[in-house]
Amino acid sequence: MSKEAPLSVSERQFILEALRQDARLDGRGPDQFRPLSITFGEEYGHVKLQLGKTSLVVRISAEVTQPRDDRPFDGLFQINLELSAMGSPAWENGRSNDLEAYATHVLDSVVRRSNALDTESLCILKGVSCWSIRADVHVLDFDGNLTDAACIAIMTGLQHFRRPDAVVKDGQVIVYGVEERVPVALNITHKPLSVTFNSYNDGKNIIVDATLKEEQASEGELVIGINNGGDVCFVSKFSGAPVDAMEVVVKSNVALEKVKDINTKMEKAMQADLAKRAKKGMADLSRAENDR
Amino acid sequence: MVSAATVAPAAPQSLSLPPPQFARLQPHAYLLAHLSPPVASNQPSARANGRAPSQFRVTSANSGSLTHTNGSGMVRLGDTTAVCGVRAELLHTEDIPSWSVSQSSNANKRRRLADSIKLSGQSGDHEETEAEVEEDRAHIEDLNLLVPNLSLSTGCAPGFLPGAPPAALTQALSHKILSLLHSTRLVRAEDLRVWYQPPNLGPEELERHNDEEHMDVDADEAESKPAEIKAFWVLYIDIMIISLAGNPFDAAWMSVLTALRDTKLPKAWWDVDNETILCSDSIAESRKLSLRGLPIPSSFGVFEADAAAGWRAVVIPDGEKLKAEEKKGTVQKWILADPDGYEEGLSQERACIIVDKEQNGKTVIVSMEKHGGWTVDTEDLRQLVDISARRWDEMKQIMDQC
Amino acid sequence: MVGPTASLSTLNRADGSASYKCPATGYDVLGAVNGPIELPARRDALKPEDATVEVFVKPGNTTAGVGERYVEGILRSVLGKVILGRERGFPRRGVVITLAIVGGDAVERGDSYLTILPALLHTSLLALLSAAVPLSMTFSATLLGVTKSGEIMPDLSAADAKTAVSRHVLAFSSKNHLLLNESEGRFDFNTWEQVRERALSICQELTMPGSDGDVAMGDESDGSKVDGFVRETVEDRLRRDYTWKIDS
Repeated sequence: MSKEAPLSVSERQFILEALRQDARLDGRGPDQFRPLSITFGEEYGHVKLQLGKTSLVVRISAEVTQPRDDRPFDGLFQINLELSAMGSPAWENGRSNDLEAYATHVLDSVVRRSNALDTESLCILKGVSCWSIRADVHVLDFDGNLTDAACIAIMTGLQHFRRPDAVVKDGQVIVYGVEERVPVALNITHKPLSVTFNSYNDGKNIIVDATLKEEQASEGELVIGINNGGDVCFVSKFSGAPVDAMEVVVKSNVALEKVKDINTKMEKAMQADLAKRAKKGMADLSRAENDR
Repeated sequence: MVSAATVAPAAPQSLSLPPPQFARLQPHAYLLAHLSPPVASNQPSARANGRAPSQFRVTSANSGSLTHTNGSGMVRLGDTTAVCGVRAELLHTEDIPSWSVSQSSNANKRRRLADSIKLSGQSGDHEETEAEVEEDRAHIEDLNLLVPNLSLSTGCAPGFLPGAPPAALTQALSHKILSLLHSTRLVRAEDLRVWYQPPNLGPEELERHNDEEHMDVDADEAESKPAEIKAFWVLYIDIMIISLAGNPFDAAWMSVLTALRDTKLPKAWWDVDNETILCSDSIAESRKLSLRGLPIPSSFGVFEADAAAGWRAVVIPDGEKLKAEEKKGTVQKWILADPDGYEEGLSQERACIIVDKEQNGKTVIVSMEKHGGWTVDTEDLRQLVDISARRWDEMKQIMDQC
Repeated sequence: MVGPTASLSTLNRADGSASYKCPATGYDVLGAVNGPIELPARRDALKPEDATVEVFVKPGNTTAGVGERYVEGILRSVLGKVILGRERGFPRRGVVITLAIVGGDAVERGDSYLTILPALLHTSLLALLSAAVPLSMTFSATLLGVTKSGEIMPDLSAADAKTAVSRHVLAFSSKNHLLLNESEGRFDFNTWEQVRERALSICQELTMPGSDGDVAMGDESDGSKVDGFVRETVEDRLRRDYTWKIDS
């Protein structure tokens, strides 16, 4: 089986008719996201994200490598998304599918190519060594809107992650362990997120954060990548039925509002976690002193 | 044909099958009939291929068969043939991204370690220090100086089609070989290093180097600078299974062993004037690798008499009960050494034991694996280790001759 | 030492799932099982009378390489023997087990996979139980190391495993069969026998119920109750799932 179970005709009819009456299956408004929960693992940059029933884990890791020959001042940043049978039985292990390619493209454009992570700050020694940052996305449960969820998780991970400190001494790069020196946060230039809109009933109904069923009933998609300042960094009207040009402008405003909202939630979750860590760190420190 | 027709003209032809057809249609029954022949027939129990259960196939090893490699080996295990070629390439330390990077906790340790090894390296077979073990690991494993790659070439067995991505088996074997190279620490890191001993510095050079960083360094260190590693030899170990008739791992690993024993590295040194590494083309100056030990693998497959064991909703006997039954001889199984392709298809449970012998003849187990079933336990494994130890003696002779 | 923690059926889409966390090695593994499912038309791989077991291991922060294929092979052979693939509804179908290593350090290229093997085995067992795939037995596994002085160490951390002279992973079925043994390093057979004995006692504790203090006294120092732990996890889940029934 390598296809999602298709939506039945009556289910589709029901979803469309409900939308015509401005109602969604789970009672949300058209511009409302599902409840978002962000938690963190033990390591820095280990984010567990739950958006309704879609859930995923993002892990950020860093290692020292050689920069590319043509860009000696730049570090490396890579987003890795591989769909496994864990997220949905329709996905086959070890084989990529259309959704994987599409989601990778969107994430790459919104996060990596918009320079959200300042790669120049990853350079350690020109042309010799630099940091390579890697974001691995594990999709645990898939219930629609993979790209937005992954985007939020990656951005949270990048802001939460701390890389070990490194200094250059006599042409030798010395990497300090986490115990020796306070690890360093990554340099984030701006915080773009993607917001996916799905259109129904000849573009009359446009909703955000569609569930899997809503995605299956959708006639077209519009993705807007935008940051807190209102700078659009990615727009994609990738497939499906046409959308009125004015809608793109209107929806950009909706997206901006959503992004601001999510970024606030993200910030809150992160500050709470970092405060908890700091407290724990203090406790560890005092305990170590007591031992002495 | 004529005689057959005259002797038994009435016998229905359909009831008798020639052995090859029987073997294909009822592989399990066929092998079982060979292993436990009817008492009346007075035939000894043997495998379908005529071997005794603990008998290995005829093995031959040949080294230096490929000319364009630093070392090569070919091992034949019955119809399974593996060829291995070792090619050494120089890797400048400048080209290693992690070379100029050190973890602060052992930043100083590394230099000191390098020194101590330089001193102790020549003194030969002494007790290895922990530092040496660590340094070996740091260089060989972290810098990936050993790169084995195995390929099951098209046509080695009917199942391998051209153009297909490497099968899971191929990748698993590559990993097993690499992790065994690491865990047995077969190759010494010292053999792969290219050192450079800087001459005593002239006064103007001393001055240049004597910045703040070096002021607090002991005076004598400034006089004779420590030797430094300029490059490493990376060994690309390519294994090709030309023909696969079961037990690819044993053949592959022994071909690696033969090839590494045959490998000669040319003398290499750092040329200060050209700022590059030069190699000598004189064979007399090249040197062989000094390997640690000779780990020899023996693989086994377990054939169970009860063909139904797999599909019946079996009530599995307790471990204790199983042992008791085994003593009575009610559970019938044969552990087949060096299974061929036909036998591999009939055995789910596999065991692989890799042993080495120390100078005093003591057997050391280097790796012992078994999975895929529940019949082999302590007693069987003890016997298998004994068989593997005997196999070691046999293989040592074969390898020393080639 | 804190024992491992696990929970069942944590995911929505997969037929069965489990998360497992081993404190000693720091590994956090998520497992999902889908089965019986229709496998794509790779006809040659399908067995006419048996289910095909597929295992996929996804490392946390690297791309999968040869090491993953190797450990998948081991898992497949162990689980293939444990899963009753000829039960009704399973022949010609597939049981797909996906294991994602979501916490803990990555296994470097060429490093041994032994340290993570018990966690992977336990996760897949729990996920299979959660998916109600018929099994002939349950099992439990443990990792032991032997130090230079010949001491057997349970609860190895990844760093301990590197310094140990030999490392052993053993898995025992609930009926005390030796299901799997993976040993590497340098050791002799007598050492292995001692290791086996120790591993068996650890694994038994993990399967047998009643680890509330009155049973295992002598071996309490091992602190890990693998087999009983498997049972407890499943019992906990059952209790939660059937609250409505138990209460009435």
